[in-house]
Amino acid sequence: MVRRKLTRRRFLATTAASTAVMAMPHVRGAYAAGKLSMGFWDHWVPGANSATTALVNEWAEKEKVEVQIDYIPSQGNKLLITITAEGQARSGHDILSFPSWQPADHARSLEPVDDIMAQLIKENGAVTPIVEYLAKPDGYWLAVPSTVGSQIKGPCSRIDLMKQHAGIDVQALYPAGAPPKADSWTLDTLLKAAEACHKAGFAFGIGLGTTADSVDSAGAIFQSFGAALVDAKGNVTVKSDPVRQALDYYARLARFFPPDAPAWDDSSNNKWLVSGRGALIMNPPSAWAVAKRDAPQVAEQCWTHGMPAGPKGRYAPFLPYFWGIWNFSKNKSAAKSLLVHLSQRSSAEKMVAASGGYDLPSFASFTDFKTWAEEAPPKGTLYHYPNPYKHQILSMAASPAPPKIAVQIYTQGLMTKMTVRHMQGEPMEKTLAWAESEVEGFMRT
Amino acid sequence: MSTAAITAAAGSARGRRYGSISRDRRWALRWSYFFLVLFAIFFLMPPVYMLITSLKTSQEISAATDPWWVHHPTLGNYIELLTSPTYLTFFRNSALVSVIVVAITMLISVPAAFALSRMRFWGSAALATGVFLTYLIPETLLFIPLFKMFALINEYLDIQLIDRWWVLLVLYPTLTVPFCTWIMIGYFASIPKELDEAALMDGANYRQILTRVFIPVALPGLIAATIFAFTVSWAQFLYPLAFTTSADQLVLPVGIVTSLIKGDVFNWGQIMTGALLGAAPPLIIYAFLMDYYIAGLTAGATKG
Amino acid sequence: MVEAALQTPAIGRGVTRRSALRRTFGRKSSIAFLMTLPLILLVALLVLYPALYSIHLATLNKSMERFVGFGNFLFLFKRETFWMVVQQSCIFAITAVIFKALIGFIVAHFVHNIPSKGQRKWRGMLLVPWVIPPAMSCLAWLWLFDPSYSAFNWILDKLSIAAVPWTGNADWARFSVILVNVWIGAPFFMIMYLAALKSVPEQLYEAAAIDGANWWQRMWYVTLPMMRNIMAITALFSLIVTFANFDIVRILTAGGPVDRTHVFATWAFRVGIEGGDLPLGASVSLFMLPILAVAAIFILRDIHRRASEMS
Repeated sequence: MVRRKLTRRRFLATTAASTAVMAMPHVRGAYAAGKLSMGFWDHWVPGANSATTALVNEWAEKEKVEVQIDYIPSQGNKLLITITAEGQARSGHDILSFPSWQPADHARSLEPVDDIMAQLIKENGAVTPIVEYLAKPDGYWLAVPSTVGSQIKGPCSRIDLMKQHAGIDVQALYPAGAPPKADSWTLDTLLKAAEACHKAGFAFGIGLGTTADSVDSAGAIFQSFGAALVDAKGNVTVKSDPVRQALDYYARLARFFPPDAPAWDDSSNNKWLVSGRGALIMNPPSAWAVAKRDAPQVAEQCWTHGMPAGPKGRYAPFLPYFWGIWNFSKNKSAAKSLLVHLSQRSSAEKMVAASGGYDLPSFASFTDFKTWAEEAPPKGTLYHYPNPYKHQILSMAASPAPPKIAVQIYTQGLMTKMTVRHMQGEPMEKTLAWAESEVEGFMRT
Repeated sequence: MSTAAITAAAGSARGRRYGSISRDRRWALRWSYFFLVLFAIFFLMPPVYMLITSLKTSQEISAATDPWWVHHPTLGNYIELLTSPTYLTFFRNSALVSVIVVAITMLISVPAAFALSRMRFWGSAALATGVFLTYLIPETLLFIPLFKMFALINEYLDIQLIDRWWVLLVLYPTLTVPFCTWIMIGYFASIPKELDEAALMDGANYRQILTRVFIPVALPGLIAATIFAFTVSWAQFLYPLAFTTSADQLVLPVGIVTSLIKGDVFNWGQIMTGALLGAAPPLIIYAFLMDYYIAGLTAGATKG
Repeated sequence: MVEAALQTPAIGRGVTRRSALRRTFGRKSSIAFLMTLPLILLVALLVLYPALYSIHLATLNKSMERFVGFGNFLFLFKRETFWMVVQQSCIFAITAVIFKALIGFIVAHFVHNIPSKGQRKWRGMLLVPWVIPPAMSCLAWLWLFDPSYSAFNWILDKLSIAAVPWTGNADWARFSVILVNVWIGAPFFMIMYLAALKSVPEQLYEAAAIDGANWWQRMWYVTLPMMRNIMAITALFSLIVTFANFDIVRILTAGGPVDRTHVFATWAFRVGIEGGDLPLGASVSLFMLPILAVAAIFILRDIHRRASEMS
């Protein structure tokens, strides 16, 4: 994490012989409107944090608030641990970044933000439906959708390798500046291509671990079959036909993944692509951004495009981030004011530019920024990243399950674990029985 | 050598054939050195690899041309880390915590060990065994209830204990004090009681016996205990991971593992540099005070 | 005799200047008690109390509002993952300690064999893995095992051997965790055994040689019995520490793949802190206690036996 301080702060610490008491005198000077501390997600794209820092400082100057920013990585579940610890201890930052199911999971500790959301929706237009679903489990807004960190984990393919070994021209399927011509891009095509590239020694680098990248990919595949482990009402639907079809397909596909995919974390697929060994990964453009710096010959062959279609639709793995205010925060009004500032069109544009097109704003009117059309090399590589023609549905892994159960399915990586077990030889019914018992465990209160 | 001589004498007495003494011994030596070299390679390979990787740029690492040699060495990683305020904060936190914990540990263990080894009072035997037993309740059992305890204290007494580095000053002694006390009891017990009596004859009270007689004699043990306490504090991972989350409160092990590993692609050159620099203080202390360190370890078992 | 010498001045003082305070501080056992008080407080507040509190926590439900008695434990007993964790923790601990003891023993012998002048140097080099903080060395091993950039696989590739999924395949992952565990811990065994080897009297070896004992018999009848105590204590200590280990698994595999390398500590962290279910995490950790208690009983017996042998 990197911390940015605006004022001098001396803090004293007493030794541990007595229970320590924190004393933090600081020079207030011109900062008379209070303090605000925030923990933001540490961006994968090098240098992207600076845009957020600049925007926060700009607001702080205007509002005369003393700010303290921490950038918390999601690697090693650090962000999740921080959220849990602060929720338990009921103390910590005022604002935190909450990914995917987390706002719903901490609904009791979050400050409702209906007031600012009403204003923002009026100014910027509607919010993506799945984002609204995640932030309003009980009918009121728990958190503000964040531009920073919200990402689609669609395929990022090697143009040359896909053409040579799989016979697929991804640039023709998803031409830059034009609507996609991707009717032939289905799950079956994906399976054949995976097999071909695997034989050629350039396997598809899709993880089967329990971190977000792996879980999001599995979630989209499952939804493409209409498979849900738990339905919207909370009934366990593990032993249903769509789940069987999805599990069967994904286990067959997984045989063409690298042998240690079950142990992959969020950085493994990036490394797979940058090292030149992969023909396709499912990742937002951060891998391509690092390849630009460290392996330019790989970067100029990368093309980000849409997901293949399944029997029940074309679903793209989506991971939204939210900015949430704890209800034990001592400066809620300042926090709300800051979040409004960060959700302005100009702010969003700056963040998207600084992240090289990685960040996806959730407001409908924001998807026309120039960044995506202009990122290069190769030119147009990110054009289809923000789903400009809405030809795929943004899916949230583990939905439509009720949030408290979904967050467990998600963080425990149940879908990928099922796939690994079945792929390694366990009979399907045994895997389903195991998954069912796990889900019943998630229902505990 | 006497063994070999007697063996040879015995051998010739029984009519068995032995090779010449020096040849046997030389072969034994050669095999010993051969295997020692193998084991040394096994044990030293990761630190050496850390050093090699720390001298590489991230381009060279990504290219993966030769992981075992540096072709374009650079000190860039070292410079970046040593000028990075975050990393220096980690270092400072670790140093502060370790030094203070060593002081606290010594202040608690030495008097306690003195009392337990020299003064017989009701329950002293049970206490000595009890001290040893607490070493067997692992931190991996205690971190969850401690977490909840500190969270409750935070909520009801408004004393910030979670996510502050000084909470480690409270927690680390639980790991260092029992073993240090045990070491010191061993050392103190081996000091002959005649020294006590001589000092008492000269009219010293208990405090003077402790400071003038015991501590100088048991100095090797004290140094060993100090080194042990420092090394354990420096290397701690679980407690800081569970109890500190903000960047400026982290100590080195947790800081490197959770914060340096940023971005989708690890910047492994920097991580290895960070890890090497983080391992440096214990290694340096070890290099200079190796004999005390080893004496301390073995004393726990042989003298205890 | 010492006590008599001490009592007299105290009584003398008490007679000349009567003051309750003086008397309290003049008494030996009070001073002794005061000197051990910080230790007692530390242990009571930060070790014993939390241990008892964790038992209380384990009886609560997930949101810590209701009392559920053995509910958490019954839930755990029905979970396949839990029994896998039990099995894995035990196998790791026992395997790792056996190999550590073996390697420590072998290396100690070699170090003992070479002339004493060189021993210090070799001892110093071979203890390095134990001195480096485990979190740092695990990072080095993590990079050595990396799926895309493993230096080991690079060597294997040069030898035309297929790359090994060090942390990706369940069996290899278990091997890797045990390997790193052994790498870190074997030097400790070596040092202890070396000290023990040095304390075996030469006369015993000479006597054995006179009786015509060969190398193996010398080992079995002289060395091992003399070292038995040290070996037992070191092995049991190490068993307990390895059993409760957290750092290595957490950094190397985070418990994966598919939970195949989880041990009690890491699974308790995953379930308790990452999963937000503190009572369940406490239950998992508590399950270590019976197993550790058995080990503790053995250690105690050994120590008492040694103490009675010595006195």
